[in-house]
Amino acid sequence: MAEVTSRKDIQTVSSGDGDPWAAFRQIERLTLSLTQHYTHTLGKYSRFFIELEQKRFLATRCESCGRVCAPPRPLCPNCLQPTHWVELTGAGTVETYSVLHFSPGSNADVAALTTPYVLAYVLLDGASTLFPHLLRAEPEQVTIGMRVRIAYVDGPVEHPIHLMHFIPME
Amino acid sequence: MSRRDAGADTAVNRLPVIVGVGMTKFAAERLDASARDLMAEAVLALLADAGMSDLKAVQHGLCSYESDHFNKQMTLAAILHDTLGLIPTPTVRVEGGGATGALALRTAWAYVQSGLCDSILVYGCETNGRGVSSQTANQLFALSADFDWEMMIGGTYTGFYAAMMRAHMHRYGTTPDQFAHVAARNRRNAGFNPLAQKPMDLTIDDVLASRMVADPYRLLDCSLLSDGAAAVLLATEDWARAHSPRFRTRPTVAYVATGCGTDTMRLGDRYPEMTNFRAKQAAAEQSYRMAGIRTPLEEIDVAELYDSYSGVEIQAVEDLGFVPHGQGGAAIAGGLFDLGGALPVNTSGGLLGRGAPVGATGIAQAIEIALQLWGEADSRRQVPNARRGLTDTHAGIATISVVNIFERRD
Ligand SMILES: [Zn+2]
Repeated sequence: MAEVTSRKDIQTVSSGDGDPWAAFRQIERLTLSLTQHYTHTLGKYSRFFIELEQKRFLATRCESCGRVCAPPRPLCPNCLQPTHWVELTGAGTVETYSVLHFSPGSNADVAALTTPYVLAYVLLDGASTLFPHLLRAEPEQVTIGMRVRIAYVDGPVEHPIHLMHFIPME
Repeated sequence: MSRRDAGADTAVNRLPVIVGVGMTKFAAERLDASARDLMAEAVLALLADAGMSDLKAVQHGLCSYESDHFNKQMTLAAILHDTLGLIPTPTVRVEGGGATGALALRTAWAYVQSGLCDSILVYGCETNGRGVSSQTANQLFALSADFDWEMMIGGTYTGFYAAMMRAHMHRYGTTPDQFAHVAARNRRNAGFNPLAQKPMDLTIDDVLASRMVADPYRLLDCSLLSDGAAAVLLATEDWARAHSPRFRTRPTVAYVATGCGTDTMRLGDRYPEMTNFRAKQAAAEQSYRMAGIRTPLEEIDVAELYDSYSGVEIQAVEDLGFVPHGQGGAAIAGGLFDLGGALPVNTSGGLLGRGAPVGATGIAQAIEIALQLWGEADSRRQVPNARRGLTDTHAGIATISVVNIFERRD
Protein backbone atom coordinates (compact mmCIF):
# COMPACT_ATOMS: atom_id res chain seq x y z
CA MET A 1 0.00 0.00 0.00
CA ALA A 2 2.74 2.49 0.94
CA GLU A 3 5.86 2.43 -1.18
CA VAL A 4 8.86 4.45 -0.02
CA THR A 5 10.60 5.37 -3.26
CA SER A 6 13.56 7.42 -2.06
CA ARG A 7 15.24 9.19 0.82
CA LYS A 8 16.15 12.84 0.37
CA ASP A 9 19.41 14.35 1.62
CA ILE A 10 19.33 15.31 5.29
CA GLN A 11 18.97 19.07 5.73
CA THR A 12 19.63 21.28 8.72
CA VAL A 13 17.19 24.16 8.94
CA SER A 14 18.43 27.51 10.26
CA SER A 15 18.12 28.30 13.94
CA GLY A 16 19.32 31.38 15.80
CA ASP A 17 21.06 31.50 19.17
CA GLY A 18 18.90 30.28 22.02
CA ASP A 19 16.62 28.25 19.70
CA PRO A 20 14.61 25.98 22.04
CA TRP A 21 14.39 23.43 19.20
CA ALA A 22 18.15 23.34 18.48
CA ALA A 23 18.27 19.60 19.10
CA PHE A 24 15.53 19.00 16.51
CA ARG A 25 16.82 20.92 13.48
CA GLN A 26 18.17 18.04 11.35
CA ILE A 27 15.41 17.07 8.94
CA GLU A 28 15.00 13.85 7.00
CA ARG A 29 12.36 13.41 4.28
CA LEU A 30 11.17 10.42 2.23
CA THR A 31 9.29 10.30 -1.04
CA LEU A 32 6.51 7.74 -1.08
CA SER A 33 3.31 6.77 -2.84
CA LEU A 34 0.11 5.37 -1.41
CA THR A 35 -2.04 3.14 -3.65
CA GLN A 36 -5.54 1.91 -2.85
CA HIS A 37 -7.78 -0.40 -4.88
CA TYR A 38 -11.56 -0.33 -4.66
CA THR A 39 -14.65 -2.04 -6.01
CA HIS A 40 -16.79 1.01 -6.79
CA THR A 41 -20.53 0.39 -7.11
CA LEU A 42 -22.54 2.82 -9.18
CA GLY A 43 -25.53 1.83 -7.08
CA LYS A 44 -28.89 3.20 -8.22
CA TYR A 45 -27.08 5.30 -10.87
CA SER A 46 -26.15 2.07 -12.68
CA ARG A 47 -28.95 2.06 -15.24
CA PHE A 48 -27.89 5.51 -16.46
CA PHE A 49 -24.50 4.11 -17.44
CA ILE A 50 -25.89 0.82 -18.80
CA GLU A 51 -28.26 2.76 -21.13
CA LEU A 52 -25.46 5.10 -22.15
CA GLU A 53 -23.78 2.10 -23.78
CA GLN A 54 -26.95 1.77 -25.91
CA LYS A 55 -26.66 5.49 -26.83
CA ARG A 56 -29.66 6.47 -24.73
CA PHE A 57 -29.57 9.32 -22.19
CA LEU A 58 -31.76 8.84 -19.12
CA ALA A 59 -32.79 11.35 -16.50
CA THR A 60 -35.06 10.87 -13.50
CA ARG A 61 -38.48 12.44 -13.04
CA CYS A 62 -40.36 12.84 -9.75
CA GLU A 63 -44.09 12.11 -10.09
CA SER A 64 -44.94 14.37 -7.15
CA CYS A 65 -43.13 17.60 -8.08
CA GLY A 66 -42.35 16.98 -11.76
CA ARG A 67 -38.65 17.82 -11.38
CA VAL A 68 -36.45 16.19 -14.03
CA CYS A 69 -32.90 15.63 -12.80
CA ALA A 70 -29.83 15.10 -14.99
CA PRO A 71 -27.58 13.77 -13.46
CA PRO A 72 -30.26 11.44 -12.11
CA ARG A 73 -31.51 11.44 -8.53
CA PRO A 74 -33.03 8.08 -7.52
CA LEU A 75 -34.53 9.85 -4.49
CA CYS A 76 -36.25 13.21 -5.10
CA PRO A 77 -34.75 15.60 -2.54
CA ASN A 78 -37.93 17.71 -2.56
CA CYS A 79 -40.38 14.89 -1.93
CA LEU A 80 -38.19 12.07 -0.53
CA GLN A 81 -39.90 9.64 -2.91
CA PRO A 82 -38.40 7.27 -5.49
CA THR A 83 -38.25 8.82 -8.98
CA HIS A 84 -38.57 7.04 -12.33
CA TRP A 85 -36.45 7.03 -15.47
CA VAL A 86 -37.26 9.19 -18.51
CA GLU A 87 -35.31 9.40 -21.77
CA LEU A 88 -34.16 12.82 -23.05
CA THR A 89 -33.34 13.62 -26.68
CA GLY A 90 -29.81 14.76 -25.85
CA ALA A 91 -30.20 18.26 -27.29
CA GLY A 92 -29.60 21.21 -24.99
CA THR A 93 -28.29 24.72 -24.36
CA VAL A 94 -25.02 25.87 -22.77
CA GLU A 95 -25.90 27.89 -19.66
CA THR A 96 -22.30 28.52 -18.55
CA TYR A 97 -18.84 27.04 -19.13
CA SER A 98 -15.15 27.29 -18.40
CA VAL A 99 -12.10 26.65 -20.59
CA LEU A 100 -9.58 24.58 -18.63
CA HIS A 101 -5.93 25.05 -19.54
CA PHE A 102 -4.63 22.18 -17.44
CA SER A 103 -5.87 18.63 -16.93
CA PRO A 104 -5.95 17.16 -13.44
CA GLY A 105 -5.39 13.73 -15.01
CA SER A 106 -8.01 12.25 -12.69
CA ASN A 107 -8.26 9.07 -14.80
CA ALA A 108 -6.94 7.78 -18.15
CA ASP A 109 -9.84 9.38 -20.07
CA VAL A 110 -9.05 12.79 -18.57
CA ALA A 111 -5.29 12.36 -18.90
CA ALA A 112 -5.84 11.80 -22.66
CA LEU A 113 -7.52 15.20 -23.11
CA THR A 114 -5.62 17.87 -24.97
CA THR A 115 -5.70 21.25 -23.29
CA PRO A 116 -7.42 23.64 -23.39
CA TYR A 117 -10.72 21.78 -23.07
CA VAL A 118 -14.23 23.07 -22.39
CA LEU A 119 -16.26 22.15 -19.29
CA ALA A 120 -19.88 23.03 -20.13
CA TYR A 121 -23.05 23.17 -18.02
CA VAL A 122 -25.87 22.16 -20.35
CA LEU A 123 -29.62 22.50 -19.82
CA LEU A 124 -30.84 19.44 -21.69
CA ASP A 125 -34.24 19.88 -23.30
CA GLY A 126 -36.81 18.63 -20.79
CA ALA A 127 -34.48 18.76 -17.77
CA SER A 128 -34.69 20.99 -14.68
CA THR A 129 -30.97 20.94 -13.84
CA LEU A 130 -27.69 21.46 -15.71
CA PHE A 131 -25.58 18.48 -16.76
CA PRO A 132 -21.82 19.09 -16.61
CA HIS A 133 -19.58 17.48 -19.24
CA LEU A 134 -16.87 18.10 -21.81
CA LEU A 135 -17.91 20.12 -24.84
CA ARG A 136 -15.71 19.08 -27.76
CA ALA A 137 -15.51 22.37 -29.64
CA GLU A 138 -13.02 25.12 -30.31
CA PRO A 139 -13.00 27.21 -27.11
CA GLU A 140 -13.39 30.42 -29.15
CA GLN A 141 -16.67 29.10 -30.64
CA VAL A 142 -18.29 28.48 -27.26
CA THR A 143 -20.89 30.97 -26.01
CA ILE A 144 -23.56 31.00 -23.35
CA GLY A 145 -26.82 30.13 -25.12
CA MET A 146 -25.26 27.98 -27.87
CA ARG A 147 -27.13 24.80 -28.83
CA VAL A 148 -25.32 21.51 -28.33
CA ARG A 149 -26.14 17.80 -28.39
CA ILE A 150 -24.82 14.63 -26.87
CA ALA A 151 -22.33 12.62 -28.95
CA TYR A 152 -22.09 8.96 -27.92
CA VAL A 153 -18.74 7.22 -27.92
CA ASP A 154 -18.05 3.64 -28.96
CA GLY A 155 -15.68 2.51 -26.23
CA PRO A 156 -13.44 1.49 -24.82
CA VAL A 157 -13.40 4.13 -22.10
CA GLU A 158 -12.15 3.84 -18.57
CA HIS A 159 -15.03 5.46 -16.68
CA PRO A 160 -18.46 4.98 -18.36
CA ILE A 161 -19.28 8.71 -18.02
CA HIS A 162 -16.94 9.08 -21.03
CA LEU A 163 -19.37 7.10 -23.21
CA MET A 164 -20.74 10.58 -23.97
CA HIS A 165 -19.75 14.21 -24.28
CA PHE A 166 -21.27 17.32 -25.88
CA ILE A 167 -20.67 18.66 -29.39
CA PRO A 168 -22.03 21.77 -31.12
CA MET A 169 -25.44 21.28 -32.80
CA GLU A 170 -24.97 21.19 -36.58
CA MET B 1 -39.26 30.16 18.77
CA SER B 2 -38.55 29.35 15.16
CA ARG B 3 -35.56 27.26 14.19
CA ARG B 4 -33.82 30.30 12.72
CA ASP B 5 -34.04 32.26 15.97
CA ALA B 6 -32.21 29.59 17.94
CA GLY B 7 -29.44 31.19 19.95
CA ALA B 8 -31.00 34.64 20.08
CA ASP B 9 -32.09 34.22 23.69
CA THR B 10 -29.03 32.45 25.09
CA ALA B 11 -27.71 33.86 28.36
CA VAL B 12 -25.28 36.69 27.78
CA ASN B 13 -22.89 35.51 30.48
CA ARG B 14 -22.08 32.36 28.49
CA LEU B 15 -21.23 34.27 25.31
CA PRO B 16 -17.76 33.00 24.33
CA VAL B 17 -14.86 35.44 24.41
CA ILE B 18 -11.47 35.07 22.74
CA VAL B 19 -8.89 34.29 25.43
CA GLY B 20 -5.86 34.00 23.18
CA VAL B 21 -4.73 33.23 19.63
CA GLY B 22 -1.73 31.64 17.95
CA MET B 23 -0.67 30.61 14.47
CA THR B 24 2.36 29.60 12.48
CA LYS B 25 3.55 31.65 9.55
CA PHE B 26 1.79 30.08 6.56
CA ALA B 27 4.21 28.63 4.04
CA ALA B 28 4.32 26.96 0.64
CA GLU B 29 6.44 24.26 2.22
CA ARG B 30 7.51 23.63 5.79
CA LEU B 31 10.01 20.89 5.05
CA ASP B 32 10.97 20.82 8.73
CA ALA B 33 7.51 20.24 10.16
CA SER B 34 4.82 17.55 10.19
CA ALA B 35 1.20 18.39 10.96
CA ARG B 36 1.78 17.72 14.64
CA ASP B 37 4.89 19.94 14.71
CA LEU B 38 2.92 22.79 13.11
CA MET B 39 0.05 22.36 15.55
CA ALA B 40 2.38 22.45 18.54
CA GLU B 41 3.98 25.66 17.26
CA ALA B 42 0.62 27.41 16.94
CA VAL B 43 -0.56 26.33 20.38
CA LEU B 44 2.72 27.43 22.06
CA ALA B 45 2.22 30.82 20.36
CA LEU B 46 -1.34 30.89 21.77
CA LEU B 47 -0.10 30.19 25.31
CA ALA B 48 2.36 33.07 25.03
CA ASP B 49 -0.38 35.32 23.68
CA ALA B 50 -2.78 34.48 26.53
CA GLY B 51 -0.03 34.73 29.14
CA MET B 52 -0.67 31.13 30.18
CA SER B 53 2.00 28.53 30.94
CA ASP B 54 -0.01 25.38 30.16
CA LEU B 55 -3.38 24.00 29.05
CA LYS B 56 -4.21 22.14 32.27
CA ALA B 57 -7.28 24.26 33.07
CA VAL B 58 -8.71 23.96 29.53
CA GLN B 59 -11.80 21.77 29.66
CA HIS B 60 -12.31 20.66 26.04
CA GLY B 61 -10.44 20.23 22.77
CA LEU B 62 -11.81 20.67 19.25
CA CYS B 63 -9.72 19.63 16.27
CA SER B 64 -10.16 21.16 12.83
CA TYR B 65 -8.60 19.44 9.82
CA GLU B 66 -10.05 18.58 6.45
CA SER B 67 -8.13 15.92 4.66
CA ASP B 68 -6.96 12.47 5.64
CA HIS B 69 -5.38 12.33 2.17
CA PHE B 70 -3.19 15.42 2.36
CA ASN B 71 -2.13 14.55 5.89
CA LYS B 72 -1.62 10.81 5.10
CA GLN B 73 -3.24 10.05 8.42
CA MET B 74 -6.72 9.14 9.58
CA THR B 75 -7.77 10.04 13.15
CA LEU B 76 -5.28 12.90 13.09
CA ALA B 77 -7.50 14.63 15.69
CA ALA B 78 -6.66 11.97 18.28
CA ILE B 79 -2.95 12.29 17.53
CA LEU B 80 -2.99 16.07 17.84
CA HIS B 81 -5.03 15.94 21.08
CA ASP B 82 -2.36 13.60 22.47
CA THR B 83 0.52 15.73 21.09
CA LEU B 84 -0.84 18.81 22.85
CA GLY B 85 -1.14 17.00 26.21
CA LEU B 86 -4.91 17.47 26.31
CA ILE B 87 -5.57 13.89 27.46
CA PRO B 88 -7.93 13.03 29.20
CA THR B 89 -10.14 16.03 28.39
CA PRO B 90 -13.03 15.42 25.96
CA THR B 91 -12.55 16.17 22.27
CA VAL B 92 -14.37 16.31 18.95
CA ARG B 93 -13.24 16.71 15.37
CA VAL B 94 -15.14 18.98 12.99
CA GLU B 95 -14.84 18.70 9.19
CA GLY B 96 -16.63 20.88 6.66
CA GLY B 97 -14.37 21.15 3.60
CA GLY B 98 -12.99 24.66 3.15
CA ALA B 99 -15.28 25.88 5.92
CA THR B 100 -13.75 23.46 8.44
CA GLY B 101 -12.06 26.09 10.64
CA ALA B 102 -15.09 28.37 10.79
CA LEU B 103 -17.42 25.43 11.40
CA ALA B 104 -15.08 24.32 14.20
CA LEU B 105 -15.40 27.74 15.86
CA ARG B 106 -19.17 27.66 15.40
CA THR B 107 -19.31 24.24 17.07
CA ALA B 108 -17.15 25.48 19.95
CA TRP B 109 -19.51 28.49 20.29
CA ALA B 110 -22.38 26.07 20.90
CA TYR B 111 -20.33 23.92 23.32
CA VAL B 112 -19.64 26.96 25.50
CA GLN B 113 -23.15 28.40 25.18
CA SER B 114 -24.72 25.07 26.12
CA GLY B 115 -22.71 24.79 29.32
CA LEU B 116 -20.98 21.62 28.15
CA CYS B 117 -17.68 23.35 28.96
CA ASP B 118 -16.45 26.79 30.05
CA SER B 119 -13.30 26.70 27.90
CA ILE B 120 -12.42 25.01 24.62
CA LEU B 121 -9.24 25.01 22.56
CA VAL B 122 -10.04 25.14 18.82
CA TYR B 123 -6.95 24.02 16.93
CA GLY B 124 -6.55 23.36 13.23
CA CYS B 125 -3.84 22.55 10.73
CA GLU B 126 -3.27 21.20 7.25
CA THR B 127 -0.31 20.24 5.10
CA ASN B 128 -1.59 21.32 1.65
CA GLY B 129 1.81 22.63 0.53
CA ARG B 130 4.49 21.12 -1.68
CA GLY B 131 4.43 17.80 0.15
CA VAL B 132 2.22 16.81 -2.78
CA SER B 133 2.74 17.71 -6.44
CA SER B 134 0.32 20.31 -7.79
CA GLN B 135 -1.27 17.57 -9.92
CA THR B 136 -1.83 15.37 -6.87
CA ALA B 137 -3.21 18.41 -5.02
CA ASN B 138 -5.67 19.08 -7.87
CA GLN B 139 -6.72 15.42 -7.92
CA LEU B 140 -7.27 15.36 -4.16
CA PHE B 141 -9.31 18.59 -4.26
CA ALA B 142 -11.27 17.20 -7.23
CA LEU B 143 -11.98 14.13 -5.10
CA SER B 144 -14.09 16.44 -2.95
CA ALA B 145 -16.30 17.09 -6.00
CA ASP B 146 -19.02 14.52 -6.85
CA PHE B 147 -16.88 11.55 -7.91
CA ASP B 148 -18.75 9.96 -10.85
CA TRP B 149 -20.38 13.14 -12.22
CA GLU B 150 -17.78 15.89 -11.72
CA MET B 151 -14.36 14.48 -10.96
CA MET B 152 -14.37 11.70 -13.59
CA ILE B 153 -15.22 14.11 -16.46
CA GLY B 154 -12.07 16.17 -15.72
CA GLY B 155 -13.77 18.79 -13.59
CA THR B 156 -11.74 20.79 -11.07
CA TYR B 157 -12.79 23.34 -8.47
CA THR B 158 -10.97 26.02 -10.44
CA GLY B 159 -13.23 25.08 -13.37
CA PHE B 160 -16.44 25.13 -11.29
CA TYR B 161 -15.60 28.55 -9.82
CA ALA B 162 -14.63 29.80 -13.28
CA ALA B 163 -18.00 28.68 -14.71
CA MET B 164 -19.79 30.62 -11.94
CA MET B 165 -17.74 33.75 -12.66
CA ARG B 166 -18.43 33.33 -16.40
CA ALA B 167 -22.17 33.39 -15.55
CA HIS B 168 -21.65 36.44 -13.30
CA MET B 169 -19.83 38.27 -16.11
CA HIS B 170 -22.57 37.33 -18.58
CA ARG B 171 -25.40 38.50 -16.31
CA TYR B 172 -23.89 41.58 -14.66
CA GLY B 173 -21.04 42.70 -16.92
CA THR B 174 -18.39 41.96 -14.29
CA THR B 175 -14.89 42.24 -15.80
CA PRO B 176 -11.50 40.54 -15.26
CA ASP B 177 -9.84 43.83 -14.23
CA GLN B 178 -12.41 44.08 -11.40
CA PHE B 179 -11.43 40.72 -9.96
CA ALA B 180 -7.75 41.43 -10.69
CA HIS B 181 -8.15 44.32 -8.22
CA VAL B 182 -8.80 41.71 -5.49
CA ALA B 183 -5.77 39.65 -6.52
CA ALA B 184 -3.51 42.71 -6.32
CA ARG B 185 -4.98 44.28 -3.16
CA ASN B 186 -5.01 41.14 -1.01
CA ARG B 187 -1.40 40.30 -1.88
CA ARG B 188 -0.44 43.91 -1.10
CA ASN B 189 -2.20 43.64 2.31
CA ALA B 190 -0.21 40.42 2.94
CA GLY B 191 2.91 42.60 2.88
CA PHE B 192 1.72 44.16 6.15
CA ASN B 193 1.31 40.72 7.82
CA PRO B 194 4.54 39.02 8.95
CA LEU B 195 2.75 35.62 9.11
CA ALA B 196 1.51 35.80 5.50
CA GLN B 197 2.81 33.29 2.97
CA LYS B 198 3.23 35.27 -0.22
CA PRO B 199 3.04 39.07 -0.22
CA MET B 200 3.38 40.51 -3.73
CA ASP B 201 3.36 44.01 -5.14
CA LEU B 202 1.29 43.63 -8.30
CA THR B 203 -0.50 45.84 -10.75
CA ILE B 204 -3.81 44.87 -12.29
CA ASP B 205 -1.95 44.44 -15.59
CA ASP B 206 0.42 41.94 -13.92
CA VAL B 207 -2.60 39.83 -12.91
CA LEU B 208 -4.15 40.10 -16.39
CA ALA B 209 -0.82 39.04 -17.94
CA SER B 210 -0.46 35.86 -15.85
CA ARG B 211 -1.18 32.58 -17.62
CA MET B 212 -4.75 31.37 -18.03
CA VAL B 213 -5.66 28.45 -15.73
CA ALA B 214 -9.43 28.09 -16.16
CA ASP B 215 -10.93 30.90 -18.20
CA PRO B 216 -11.69 33.55 -16.88
CA TYR B 217 -9.33 32.80 -13.97
CA ARG B 218 -5.58 33.29 -14.41
CA LEU B 219 -2.77 32.04 -12.21
CA LEU B 220 -2.71 35.17 -10.03
CA ASP B 221 -6.49 34.94 -9.50
CA CYS B 222 -5.95 31.62 -7.66
CA SER B 223 -5.28 31.30 -3.92
CA LEU B 224 -2.35 29.48 -2.36
CA LEU B 225 -1.68 25.93 -1.20
CA SER B 226 -0.18 26.11 2.26
CA ASP B 227 1.31 24.35 5.25
CA GLY B 228 0.24 25.89 8.54
CA ALA B 229 -1.66 25.75 11.81
CA ALA B 230 -3.78 28.12 13.88
CA ALA B 231 -5.52 27.99 17.27
CA VAL B 232 -8.04 30.05 19.23
CA LEU B 233 -8.95 29.56 22.89
CA LEU B 234 -12.62 30.34 23.55
CA ALA B 235 -14.17 30.54 27.02
CA THR B 236 -16.78 32.22 29.14
CA GLU B 237 -15.70 35.64 30.34
CA ASP B 238 -15.47 34.33 33.93
CA TRP B 239 -13.12 31.51 32.90
CA ALA B 240 -11.00 33.89 30.81
CA ARG B 241 -10.58 36.34 33.70
CA ALA B 242 -9.62 33.56 36.07
CA HIS B 243 -7.05 31.86 33.83
CA SER B 244 -5.51 34.39 31.41
CA PRO B 245 -3.54 37.35 32.80
CA ARG B 246 -3.40 38.85 29.30
CA PHE B 247 -7.19 38.72 28.92
CA ARG B 248 -7.55 41.11 31.84
CA THR B 249 -5.38 43.74 30.15
CA ARG B 250 -7.01 43.68 26.71
CA PRO B 251 -10.35 44.95 25.44
CA THR B 252 -12.80 42.03 25.58
CA VAL B 253 -13.56 40.50 22.18
CA ALA B 254 -16.75 38.43 22.21
CA TYR B 255 -17.85 35.89 19.58
CA VAL B 256 -21.37 37.27 19.26
CA ALA B 257 -23.01 35.53 16.32
CA THR B 258 -22.74 32.64 13.89
CA GLY B 259 -24.67 31.52 10.83
CA CYS B 260 -24.45 28.52 8.52
CA GLY B 261 -26.10 27.74 5.19
CA THR B 262 -25.85 24.90 2.68
CA ASP B 263 -26.39 24.37 -1.04
CA THR B 264 -26.33 21.51 -3.53
CA MET B 265 -23.04 19.70 -4.04
CA ARG B 266 -23.11 20.11 -7.82
CA LEU B 267 -23.25 23.58 -9.37
CA GLY B 268 -25.62 22.41 -12.14
CA ASP B 269 -28.26 21.40 -9.60
CA ARG B 270 -28.54 25.07 -8.54
CA TYR B 271 -29.96 26.14 -11.90
CA PRO B 272 -31.19 28.84 -12.50
CA GLU B 273 -29.04 30.45 -9.72
CA MET B 274 -25.56 30.20 -11.25
CA THR B 275 -23.93 33.53 -10.38
CA ASN B 276 -23.99 33.70 -6.57
CA PHE B 277 -23.86 31.73 -3.31
CA ARG B 278 -27.28 31.06 -1.73
CA ALA B 279 -25.67 29.33 1.25
CA LYS B 280 -23.65 32.48 2.00
CA GLN B 281 -26.79 34.61 1.86
CA ALA B 282 -28.46 32.28 4.39
CA ALA B 283 -25.43 32.23 6.72
CA ALA B 284 -25.19 36.03 6.64
CA GLU B 285 -28.91 36.49 7.28
CA GLN B 286 -28.79 34.23 10.37
CA SER B 287 -25.69 35.85 11.81
CA TYR B 288 -26.97 39.40 11.20
CA ARG B 289 -30.24 38.57 12.97
CA MET B 290 -28.30 37.15 15.92
CA ALA B 291 -26.00 40.20 16.09
CA GLY B 292 -28.80 42.73 15.45
CA ILE B 293 -27.22 44.00 12.24
CA ARG B 294 -29.47 45.68 9.66
CA THR B 295 -27.07 47.59 7.41
CA PRO B 296 -23.91 45.45 7.24
CA LEU B 297 -21.81 47.89 5.21
CA GLU B 298 -22.24 50.56 7.90
CA GLU B 299 -22.29 48.30 10.96
CA ILE B 300 -19.27 46.07 10.22
CA ASP B 301 -15.80 47.61 10.45
CA VAL B 302 -13.53 44.87 9.10
CA ALA B 303 -14.05 41.47 7.42
CA GLU B 304 -12.08 38.45 6.29
CA LEU B 305 -13.69 37.05 3.14
CA TYR B 306 -13.14 33.64 1.53
CA ASP B 307 -11.13 34.67 -1.55
CA SER B 308 -10.33 31.18 -2.84
CA TYR B 309 -10.38 32.86 -6.27
CA SER B 310 -10.27 36.61 -6.75
CA GLY B 311 -13.77 36.85 -8.21
CA VAL B 312 -15.24 34.97 -5.26
CA GLU B 313 -14.71 38.13 -3.21
CA ILE B 314 -16.98 39.99 -5.67
CA GLN B 315 -19.67 37.36 -5.17
CA ALA B 316 -19.13 37.48 -1.39
CA VAL B 317 -19.60 41.25 -0.95
CA GLU B 318 -22.91 40.83 -2.78
CA ASP B 319 -24.09 37.75 -0.89
CA LEU B 320 -23.11 39.24 2.47
CA GLY B 321 -25.32 42.22 1.63
CA PHE B 322 -22.50 44.80 1.57
CA VAL B 323 -23.63 45.91 -1.93
CA PRO B 324 -26.55 44.86 -4.18
CA HIS B 325 -26.13 41.90 -6.55
CA GLY B 326 -24.32 42.89 -9.71
CA GLN B 327 -22.55 45.87 -8.10
CA GLY B 328 -19.73 43.93 -6.40
CA GLY B 329 -17.25 44.33 -9.24
CA ALA B 330 -17.61 48.11 -9.52
CA ALA B 331 -17.58 48.58 -5.73
CA ILE B 332 -14.39 46.56 -5.40
CA ALA B 333 -12.65 48.31 -8.29
CA GLY B 334 -13.66 51.64 -6.71
CA GLY B 335 -11.71 50.79 -3.54
CA LEU B 336 -14.69 50.45 -1.17
CA PHE B 337 -13.08 47.40 0.47
CA ASP B 338 -9.42 48.52 0.43
CA LEU B 339 -7.52 49.68 3.53
CA GLY B 340 -8.88 53.18 4.14
CA GLY B 341 -12.17 52.32 2.39
CA ALA B 342 -15.62 52.01 3.96
CA LEU B 343 -15.16 48.35 4.96
CA PRO B 344 -11.60 47.00 4.63
CA VAL B 345 -11.59 43.28 3.82
CA ASN B 346 -8.84 40.68 3.84
CA THR B 347 -6.48 42.93 5.77
CA SER B 348 -4.49 39.74 6.57
CA GLY B 349 -3.88 39.12 2.87
CA GLY B 350 -6.71 36.57 2.59
CA LEU B 351 -6.38 33.16 0.99
CA LEU B 352 -4.63 34.86 -1.93
CA GLY B 353 -1.81 36.39 0.11
CA ARG B 354 -1.78 35.02 3.66
CA GLY B 355 -2.40 31.45 2.50
CA ALA B 356 -4.87 28.65 3.12
CA PRO B 357 -3.93 25.49 5.01
CA VAL B 358 -7.56 24.30 4.95
CA GLY B 359 -8.19 23.25 8.58
CA ALA B 360 -6.42 26.40 9.83
CA THR B 361 -7.93 28.90 7.36
CA GLY B 362 -11.18 29.79 9.15
CA ILE B 363 -9.32 29.98 12.46
CA ALA B 364 -6.68 32.30 10.98
CA GLN B 365 -9.49 34.53 9.67
CA ALA B 366 -10.88 34.80 13.23
CA ILE B 367 -7.37 35.56 14.53
CA GLU B 368 -7.08 38.50 12.10
CA ILE B 369 -10.42 39.86 13.30
CA ALA B 370 -9.35 39.46 16.96
CA LEU B 371 -6.10 41.36 16.28
CA GLN B 372 -8.06 44.11 14.52
CA LEU B 373 -10.59 44.43 17.37
CA TRP B 374 -7.84 44.40 20.02
CA GLY B 375 -6.05 47.09 17.99
CA GLU B 376 -2.97 44.88 17.77
CA ALA B 377 -2.61 44.45 13.99
CA ASP B 378 0.46 45.91 12.25
CA SER B 379 -0.15 49.67 12.00
CA ARG B 380 -0.03 49.50 8.20
CA ARG B 381 -3.08 47.23 8.14
CA GLN B 382 -4.85 48.18 11.39
CA VAL B 383 -8.38 49.49 10.79
CA PRO B 384 -8.78 52.49 13.14
CA ASN B 385 -11.20 51.90 16.03
CA ALA B 386 -12.51 48.60 14.62
CA ARG B 387 -15.32 47.40 16.90
CA ARG B 388 -17.12 44.70 14.91
CA GLY B 389 -15.62 42.17 12.52
CA LEU B 390 -16.90 39.31 10.35
CA THR B 391 -15.43 36.15 8.88
CA ASP B 392 -16.83 34.47 5.75
CA THR B 393 -15.69 30.91 5.03
CA HIS B 394 -17.04 28.25 2.72
CA ALA B 395 -16.60 24.70 1.47
CA GLY B 396 -16.68 23.61 -2.17
CA ILE B 397 -18.47 26.24 -4.24
CA ALA B 398 -20.18 27.47 -1.04
CA THR B 399 -21.76 24.07 -0.51
CA ILE B 400 -21.40 24.81 3.21
CA SER B 401 -21.04 28.46 4.18
CA VAL B 402 -20.27 29.86 7.65
CA VAL B 403 -20.35 33.48 8.83
CA ASN B 404 -18.99 34.35 12.30
CA ILE B 405 -19.20 37.80 13.93
CA PHE B 406 -17.00 39.21 16.70
CA GLU B 407 -17.37 42.42 18.73
CA ARG B 408 -15.19 44.48 20.98
CA ARG B 409 -17.03 45.01 24.28
CA ASP B 410 -15.78 48.04 26.22
ZN1 LIG C 1 -40.23 15.55 -6.04
